[in-house]
Amino acid sequence: MDVQGDFTGVPMNDAARKYAEAFDVTRVAVLEHQCQPYNVAHIYRGPIQFRVFEDKNPATQEIVSYRVFSGTYMQWRTIWMDGRAHPPSHVPHTHMGFSTGEWHGDILTVKTTHIKKEFYRRSGAPSSDLTTLVEHYIRHGNVLSHVMIITDPVYLTEPYVLSQEFVIMERGNQNWLYNCEYVMEVPMDKNDLPFYLPGRNPFIEDYAKLYGVPFEGVFGGAPTTYPEYMPTLERLMNR
Amino acid sequence: MRMRWPLIATAAALTALAGAAAAHHSFTATYFEDRTMEIEGKLLQFMFRNPHSFVHVEAPDENGQMHRWAVEWGGAGQLSGQGVTNQTLRVGDVVSVTGNPGRDPADHRIRMQYLRRPADGFEWGRNPGETFN
Repeated sequence: MDVQGDFTGVPMNDAARKYAEAFDVTRVAVLEHQCQPYNVAHIYRGPIQFRVFEDKNPATQEIVSYRVFSGTYMQWRTIWMDGRAHPPSHVPHTHMGFSTGEWHGDILTVKTTHIKKEFYRRSGAPSSDLTTLVEHYIRHGNVLSHVMIITDPVYLTEPYVLSQEFVIMERGNQNWLYNCEYVMEVPMDKNDLPFYLPGRNPFIEDYAKLYGVPFEGVFGGAPTTYPEYMPTLERLMNR
Repeated sequence: MRMRWPLIATAAALTALAGAAAAHHSFTATYFEDRTMEIEGKLLQFMFRNPHSFVHVEAPDENGQMHRWAVEWGGAGQLSGQGVTNQTLRVGDVVSVTGNPGRDPADHRIRMQYLRRPADGFEWGRNPGETFN
């Protein structure tokens, strides 16, 4: 269940916490934010269907790249398989970033840089434009396991590891379009930008309250994800 | 010989296996999901689009004061799979909407749960599959 204030498992640092506390989720209704796509480190955690295409060298039939089309926000992504280097750091970033891949046995490992700033979660856990991503795609029959290792020196204290499974669609979903247009969803002054001042976010503890867990554990970042945190959690629960 | 993915060679379409996909945004931060309210009035605008469609309805609040209510609905892609199109609702239709009220009462916004058009009995929200995220 998507509950505001869920930061569990995200290895956030203090800068990310400050950002998250100030974030008002209704900002997505602001005209300039309505059509903001998820970036590559986030898109696989949202509603998604995607197609994978091969691009081959016509002369040698060697795979030059895999191209991935995601229906959500209609984004194209290229995974270069020809050994090319990543561009310099100052090159413009995109939501899908610049990706190169190589096979390790049956596992496709993809490295992505030049990713635009966005979020790890819509609850307000931010990602920076220094984020890099390593992915491992592992196929088991018609199931594709996908592991992501996200590194962000600005907002994360350590790599953020996520995994999900995808299944080949048995019949084609006919709707691959995602037309997004800017409209006045909820009448508001166009210059309004929803936010919260420090300490004024009324929803930041919603998740903790709903599940009866200490807020310090929900918001505590990387230490809370290790077994060694259990004594601390018990102490907080018994407080 | 190194193995590859035979089926990845063709345009394989994949979709998320488990239903753990997060919504476009957190509804619980925007709406009181433990409350419902109902309005009935004239449809002023139907924005059939992504990421979320919106229906604007002119209807009175509990004090009888007329407001323009913004009713959040599913994305066009999701709704089209449920038989809803940009022609489903028309400006001027009288509709009854039940849904979760927004946390900020000044916004006059509702998250759609059920819609009914009395004129012809059209309804959405009570049949299997009529939901959105």
